[in-house]
Amino acid sequence: MAKLILKFENSVLKEMPVGSKEVSIGRSPENGLVIDNPAVSHYHARVFNEEGRLMLEDFGSMNGTFVNGQRVKMVTLKPGDSVGIGKHTIVVSESREHDGFGSTNGGAKLAAPKINETVMLDTKERREFLQKVAAVGESSQVAPTRLKIATLIVRKGRTDRNEYVLNDKLTVVGKSGMATVKLKGWFAPKAAAQITRREDQSYYIGAADKVPSVNGQPILHPTILSPGDIITVSGIELEFVYRD
Amino acid sequence: MALEFGAQSDIGCVRKNNEDSYRTAAEMNLFVLSDGMGGLEAGEVASRLAVDTVLARCREAELNPSLPLIGEPIEGVSGPSNQLASAIRSANDAIYRTSQQGAGQQGMGATIVAVWCTDERMSVAHVGDSRIYRLRGGELEQLTQDHSFVAEQVRQGKMTEQEASTSTMQNVLIRALGIDPTVEVDVSEELLMEADTVLLCSDGLTRELSDAQIAAVLGKSEEPQAAASRLVDLAKQAGGGDNVTVIVLRRAAKPVGAIARIGGWFKKSDS
Repeated sequence: MAKLILKFENSVLKEMPVGSKEVSIGRSPENGLVIDNPAVSHYHARVFNEEGRLMLEDFGSMNGTFVNGQRVKMVTLKPGDSVGIGKHTIVVSESREHDGFGSTNGGAKLAAPKINETVMLDTKERREFLQKVAAVGESSQVAPTRLKIATLIVRKGRTDRNEYVLNDKLTVVGKSGMATVKLKGWFAPKAAAQITRREDQSYYIGAADKVPSVNGQPILHPTILSPGDIITVSGIELEFVYRD
Repeated sequence: MALEFGAQSDIGCVRKNNEDSYRTAAEMNLFVLSDGMGGLEAGEVASRLAVDTVLARCREAELNPSLPLIGEPIEGVSGPSNQLASAIRSANDAIYRTSQQGAGQQGMGATIVAVWCTDERMSVAHVGDSRIYRLRGGELEQLTQDHSFVAEQVRQGKMTEQEASTSTMQNVLIRALGIDPTVEVDVSEELLMEADTVLLCSDGLTRELSDAQIAAVLGKSEEPQAAASRLVDLAKQAGGGDNVTVIVLRRAAKPVGAIARIGGWFKKSDS
């Protein structure tokens, strides 16, 4: 299916698929693709499918519609075409398997990469988006991770302490010099397991020299820890809790 | 601690310039990779500035561990991790200033991924959508989270992995170096164990190859350089739509046997 990618300078503002329903373009909010700019007419143009072809029609707009630099009234669009409306550009893209990458068509190769070049989200949109992300992050954080301190309590086995506060992003269980939870005994592994705090503030347990178990289940993939989880590794048992 | 490594960078099959850059400083176990963006030569300038600044700044920090940090210290990580984050903030500043000076270089920016290994502790830092993976015991784990629009949509549950992998918004970043005067750097620490393999790569690799394909190449016990070349070749065979750059590191496995154990006992009884 064809897609329209609305860009301003190097930034992608929006993308819109064109299915059986036409996409109208203009400044008025009733349009499918709204471009809020005085250079754009209220009902400027439309893109639609007709007999398997993707068509573009200008509604007699004041400032015109341009395809690859040429002012047009009604044309057939092909992937890679660049539609100019005011200072905005709409790039025509096909779905991934037909977008011309790696094809033997030399012409398509020249046009297509433009679409895929890495760009930043437009400054204003980025700020709004990041604010939203932060807001979602805060509301989805369960209180314990914010207000309480992650702690390991030793339930069984020989270690150098009875309790460990997980202040660090990386906590190693083992005999290694960098281990927080220090194991005793000659045959104890240097690093039996590792616990990492990630950007989402959750704690993940993963295998090192040994495969630890959480609540009796062996940990093959790094797994998020929940309060009350019992970690068993190298003859010790640790309970993961959040403390005030 | 002995690290073996290999690296390879390729323009790919479509692009006219290679905007990726990388540096390896094996003597200090520091490895840095960057993917530049922006028209004309801007992407190349940005990625080169990124890796060179990070390298220079970390070298300085190695000589002077109390080198003042740029930005706020990150809690719960080691000194080198904080210095690495600081070096990346310095790179952001360098690119931002260059971009402001040259009128034709608007939109200039770069991603960065870096690992700095001090003993078994591996500092991992990144900004953007280049990635770091670790293969341990046959399990491939992505150690970085993309700072891209689609990755964020997936994290928020607004998009499935499947939708993300076919979206035309894949190329849109929400964080990169050189765009704003300051940047937030993601830093984590990982344990680097014997026989662990670590991969740093630009999105030119991960757009073309699945995690399973990457794991299969890294899992073969060939030399890191052979693995790096193989990954780049496969990405090009799959289309090579973007520049492809990879660095592969492996901590050599020491043979562990009865003699090593007994050696350990003697050491133990000495202390």
